[in-house]
Amino acid sequence: MISVYHYMSVAAILFAMSTYGVLTRRNAIVIFMCIELMLNSVNLTFISLSSHLQNIDGQIFVFFVMAVAAAEAAVGLALMIAFYRNRESIDVDNINMLKW
Amino acid sequence: MSLSDLLAMLPILILAFGATAILMAGAWYREPLPLLAGGIVTALLGALSAGLVTPPVPEIAGLFSAGGYARFYTILWSLLAAAGLMTGSRYIIEKRIGAGEYVSLVLYAAAGMALLSSATHLVGLFIALETFTLAFYILIASNRNCALAAEAGLKYLLLGAVATGFMAFGIALIYAASGSLVLPDAVMRLKAETGELQAWGLLGWGMILIAVGFKISLAPFHLWTPDVYQGAPAPVTGLLATGSKGAVVAALVGLLAMSGPVWNDLTDLVWLLAALTMLAGAFGALGQSNLKRLLAYSSVTHMGTLLVGVLCQTSEGFAATTFYVVVYVVTSLGAFAVIASLADGRGEPMTFDQWRGLGYRHPVRCGVLVLLLLSLAGLPATAGFMAKFAVFHAALQSGYIGLLMIGILASVISFAFYLRVTMLLFQPDEKASSWHQGSVFEHTVLAVCSSAVLVLGLFPGLLFGLIRQILP
Repeated sequence: MISVYHYMSVAAILFAMSTYGVLTRRNAIVIFMCIELMLNSVNLTFISLSSHLQNIDGQIFVFFVMAVAAAEAAVGLALMIAFYRNRESIDVDNINMLKW
Repeated sequence: MSLSDLLAMLPILILAFGATAILMAGAWYREPLPLLAGGIVTALLGALSAGLVTPPVPEIAGLFSAGGYARFYTILWSLLAAAGLMTGSRYIIEKRIGAGEYVSLVLYAAAGMALLSSATHLVGLFIALETFTLAFYILIASNRNCALAAEAGLKYLLLGAVATGFMAFGIALIYAASGSLVLPDAVMRLKAETGELQAWGLLGWGMILIAVGFKISLAPFHLWTPDVYQGAPAPVTGLLATGSKGAVVAALVGLLAMSGPVWNDLTDLVWLLAALTMLAGAFGALGQSNLKRLLAYSSVTHMGTLLVGVLCQTSEGFAATTFYVVVYVVTSLGAFAVIASLADGRGEPMTFDQWRGLGYRHPVRCGVLVLLLLSLAGLPATAGFMAKFAVFHAALQSGYIGLLMIGILASVISFAFYLRVTMLLFQPDEKASSWHQGSVFEHTVLAVCSSAVLVLGLFPGLLFGLIRQILP
């Protein structure tokens, strides 16, 4: 029998893996994919909890998370293009003009 | 959503629809001045309607409060948007930044900040936070010809998006532990839980604290602050340093004031964050030779001090924090407005070499900058002193002696770098070059900010009386 704990465990593992990806990957687009994965693990948590608690609020929240993720992707890709036009790269090691 | 809900939401609606109208108008009509004027009028209308229209319902759709506290911050952020548009007016014309986009994004950001300060539901909190963060991602990189701005924008975006993820997961855990997303309710239920559910709730709070730490740059999550402040255009930095941080602190204060002391298990963690932040900001600023980066580290120190006020969890602490937010917003906005008003074709004066001797070329504006810096340092008779005094007094009453000592130490160190800039401005230097004379709009903002700093410093009771009335 698959309980809410199983769903939450999968979501937590997904969240931990995507956080690890954000910290270690060097390509801005891959980092962005990891961030999307983070938000998706949140969605999985909310859907499973919503069905477990018999409460619709969690499912509503998922729609907002999806809207925010879409908006963030749109703005993020635009910013990456702006960065690429100036630097010919989207490798985060090249985010180095501003320091100390 | 009924008609009375819409009426209670009028200030936000004015800001959001005004922003949309200006965005649409800007697509066909490229003349910047009428668009800017329209934006300033919209922001002022938003502030007026928040002050004058009595909301018929205390809560809007169960998501946002329409009480005095929410209205107070709606007025503050609307006025901040008007000031941000005024300081940015000359800048966007000279840098050829699209006026429609700039004006509408600033207004959207103001609407988001006003919503965040009045959120009473975790969904409302999340959307409001994202509304203004998304606007800021674009605003920071709005000068597309500047490589530094694009880099600052990308940096803020990557870190901000991670913070969003943590915020959402924290909310999910609180939902798991309490089964509710309504704010005072969810937090109250967490207090009653024990065992496993309580652990989840605490983990959720910890994740939200990480996200908040990113947004208001608490140490050790503060490293993006100087980079982004340096790369962003000065008028945008002014908004980013004040509004985006102030709104998050306002939401925290509102939440804790509504639900009573809930941080009992997290007190030690928050204590450590506050102490680290104050010291990291003060020591970080000592080594800087760029005014924008110095102001960034100064804002880190101020966020640490604000956290002390929040940590007290007494009505006195909340009143002191609210006062501090207002004072910090006015002072910091003024300091960045001075930088924006001096900017010309060469860019903004940033490094200390560029500032040396500028006090003789532009005595009035450098005088204003000195006043604002001394207020940030907390010199008696300025608003900054009263704000710091109030927070430290609240900390003393709640028994946080250690934190008080660290705060005073950080303030003393802060004096060193603020005075260094002051002396630099009035060092005789033959090579000091003249910068832009500034427009009427910019001088108006500076006049308002500097007089507010003096008035609040001499008569703090005016604002304190109001704050005590509106705190939830």
